[in-house]
Amino acid sequence: MKVSTRGRYGLRLLVDLAEHGSDQPVALSQVAGRQDLSEKYLQQVALLLTRGGYLVSVKGAGGGYLLSKTPEQILIYDVFDLLEGNISFVEMPQKEETAIQRCLRIHFFEKLDEKVKETFDGVTLADVTKAEWFTYII
Amino acid sequence: MYLATCRGNCSIRAISDATGISSGYLEQLMIPLKKFGLVESERGVQGGYRIARKDITCSEVLSASEGEFTPTPCQDCKQSDACKAHQIWSMLQDSVVDYTQQVLISTLAAHLVEAEAGGGI
Repeated sequence: MKVSTRGRYGLRLLVDLAEHGSDQPVALSQVAGRQDLSEKYLQQVALLLTRGGYLVSVKGAGGGYLLSKTPEQILIYDVFDLLEGNISFVEMPQKEETAIQRCLRIHFFEKLDEKVKETFDGVTLADVTKAEWFTYII
Repeated sequence: MYLATCRGNCSIRAISDATGISSGYLEQLMIPLKKFGLVESERGVQGGYRIARKDITCSEVLSASEGEFTPTPCQDCKQSDACKAHQIWSMLQDSVVDYTQQVLISTLAAHLVEAEAGGGI
């Protein structure tokens, strides 16, 4: 499993908005500059996050993006799931699943997915932007 | 995992039949597994492959065959100290690596034997 560019850019966009955001919309060009990311690509990711209900787009001069919820209300796992489409390791059983594949699916991959979900349980965007959070995870 | 259920040496053909993995690809997989000391092989009529130790973890097998699990290409990133999103990837990586280190191949093999004995497949 690899996290796609979309997943990485999307989370960095949210982290940046949570850290620098206020009541004023933030232009993507600012985020692109701060994060050293392509603005064009950020636009695509921002669109996806807007459709997913995490961002609000403000048009016009002084326009940009705002978080639609507080960072405390944004769950990292859910954002990740939206950006990646599907973040599980387990693959849907093929028509002819061998005994070994079945055993690995049930006893390894499904449990691995549960484990990842548990790890991120309750972790919000606010936790990520807090510096001290990092120390207690490690 | 199949090898862990076998008593003696297993031929590539037998492993291929049981796993559905082509023999050519199995031969390739065996190279890193042998190199990391996870399987042993013997030549000759009674030859074949067998599991080298009973306490092999899934992590060891995955590291040998796929390399270290890294969900993002951030390792060489200059910003990783400043990048807060980086914490999320570390968390994901640690979670996966921890889990795979806990699961023994022999435990999975026991589940497999149990499922076959129960006729559940």
